[in-house]
Amino acid sequence: MAIVTGSRRTRKLEAALVYLALAALTAAFLFPLLWVLGLSLKTRPQIFSDPPLYLWWPTIEHYVDVLSRADFLKAFLNTLIVSAASVLLSLGVGVPAAYAFARFPFRGRSFLFFALLVMRMLPPIAVLVPMYVLFTKLGLATTRLSVVLAYTTFSLPLVVWIMRGFFEDLPKELEESAWIDGATRYGAFWRVVLPLARPGMVAASILCLQLAWNDFLFAAVLTNNATQTLPVLMAGFSGGDSGVDWGAMTASGMLVILPVIVFSFMAQRHLVAGLSSGSVKG
Amino acid sequence: MGESSRAAPHGLAIPVPARSAGRTTRRSLDRWFTPLAVLPTFVVMLLVFGLPLLFSLYLSFTGWSLSQDLLGGEFVGWANYQDLLEDPVFLGSLGITFGFTAAAVAAQLGLGLAIALLLNMDLPHMRAFRTALIVPMMITPIVGALCWKLLLDPSHGVFNHWIGERIVWLGMPGTALGAVWIVNVWHSTPYVALILLAGLRSLPSEPGEAAAIDGASRLQMFRHVTLPLLRPYLLVALLLRTIFEFRAFDNIYAMTGGGPANSTMVLSMFTYLVSFVRFDFSLGAAASWMMLVMSMLMCLVFIAVIRRRDAN
Repeated sequence: MAIVTGSRRTRKLEAALVYLALAALTAAFLFPLLWVLGLSLKTRPQIFSDPPLYLWWPTIEHYVDVLSRADFLKAFLNTLIVSAASVLLSLGVGVPAAYAFARFPFRGRSFLFFALLVMRMLPPIAVLVPMYVLFTKLGLATTRLSVVLAYTTFSLPLVVWIMRGFFEDLPKELEESAWIDGATRYGAFWRVVLPLARPGMVAASILCLQLAWNDFLFAAVLTNNATQTLPVLMAGFSGGDSGVDWGAMTASGMLVILPVIVFSFMAQRHLVAGLSSGSVKG
Repeated sequence: MGESSRAAPHGLAIPVPARSAGRTTRRSLDRWFTPLAVLPTFVVMLLVFGLPLLFSLYLSFTGWSLSQDLLGGEFVGWANYQDLLEDPVFLGSLGITFGFTAAAVAAQLGLGLAIALLLNMDLPHMRAFRTALIVPMMITPIVGALCWKLLLDPSHGVFNHWIGERIVWLGMPGTALGAVWIVNVWHSTPYVALILLAGLRSLPSEPGEAAAIDGASRLQMFRHVTLPLLRPYLLVALLLRTIFEFRAFDNIYAMTGGGPANSTMVLSMFTYLVSFVRFDFSLGAAASWMMLVMSMLMCLVFIAVIRRRDAN
């Protein structure tokens, strides 16, 4: 709803003001990230130089250092395994449910659906306390499986919400003609519906991946040194006050956020739908 | 089966005479499709989510320690809850959580609305600004918090260099809470802006055009046309952000750990410290349940709002 009013000159002035405001906001929002990116490309003396350096010849020594550290690579691998496993589990379990929610009315459907939404909105710490106790008693604590299960409970509702919306938008005639041709519901779902739902599944998996990749709380409590993920490793940097290795810290930080920023831009269109869990048509 | 449907996608297929032998068993199998599709989701949610929550309700009424059997705790009634309500740190954290949530959500809505209105202008290159402005929300929260911690560092941080003083931002109660607030606003304003931008794009243009013909000023138009039409979107953003700020944890953990002098002790941080530093799981469970009840109330409001809007 952009409404055009005013003469040409005032419109030009207005455009200039809009650009100015947006440029200032963009600078403010991007500054923390860009400054830290800059720090990660400085040598140690350059990082602590006073006054700070604004122009310098960048170095990648911290990136070389971080990428040769065993604990960073181990944590990277752990994060990858845990994220991928929770995405696969959430999709495998959640997509059929989303399809049923979208297509077949059954008793208690809307109640169950909103129950899922409520589960997604409860504070994670409140679930984590008993989860930790139960996992410890079952011998699951400090395993990667415990974190995968925890992430799955938070991404399942997300998958069901997004995919339900997606299935509702698919024309019903496709499956119906498959049924008439003698396909079972299972066959039609597998061979007709799922291939069409692929874009939705890509969006849902990126949102789940983001959730698992970025989580700190569950991983901090449910993993140990061998199974820790990247956010936990990162938090370790802020522990000791003296002798924080700014170079390694900033370079690791940039490496942690790089994949998730790439994924997020791939799923940009779906971000609104995902974060508001289907309550806003984006 | 699937192949034949592709040939006639619009339901024009002539019903093929049933391969009659398999037909009835197939029908009865089909009847099981919905339960089979829905069941795994609820089994997982009940086992990994529902069961722990019930267990924590039980824990909150016992005095339990990790060395005991799962159900070996001694029943203590409401004692854990009473302890909480007499603990000045917990009571303080209630106030801090509500104040922090209100302040963060208010700033995110205000700034987010401004950004959405700017991005909705019909000018070239708006996509580039939109892309740049939503970057903070994509950053891993703990990494974002650490970036800010470096910027705010007392001796080497760039902010202190600019103002030429050595302020220990995260070491003083007043500034620590403010710093955490800024980081949360920075991180989540883009969400609000995206929701509201989607809202602005979906608004009908006729009311605005009519108002323009009637000679309404820009401000009048915003106040009396755009804002009322945008209200459902503002409401969704408000409720979602409230629910999510209420559980704020990562930034605070990385930046202040709840200090100094408990000035940033939000409920999540309090529950974390009680459970995983003091290892008092019963008290932690009681604090969890207080949080759960408050969140559930917020969710019910949220759902009521969505359903009423969907009904219209």
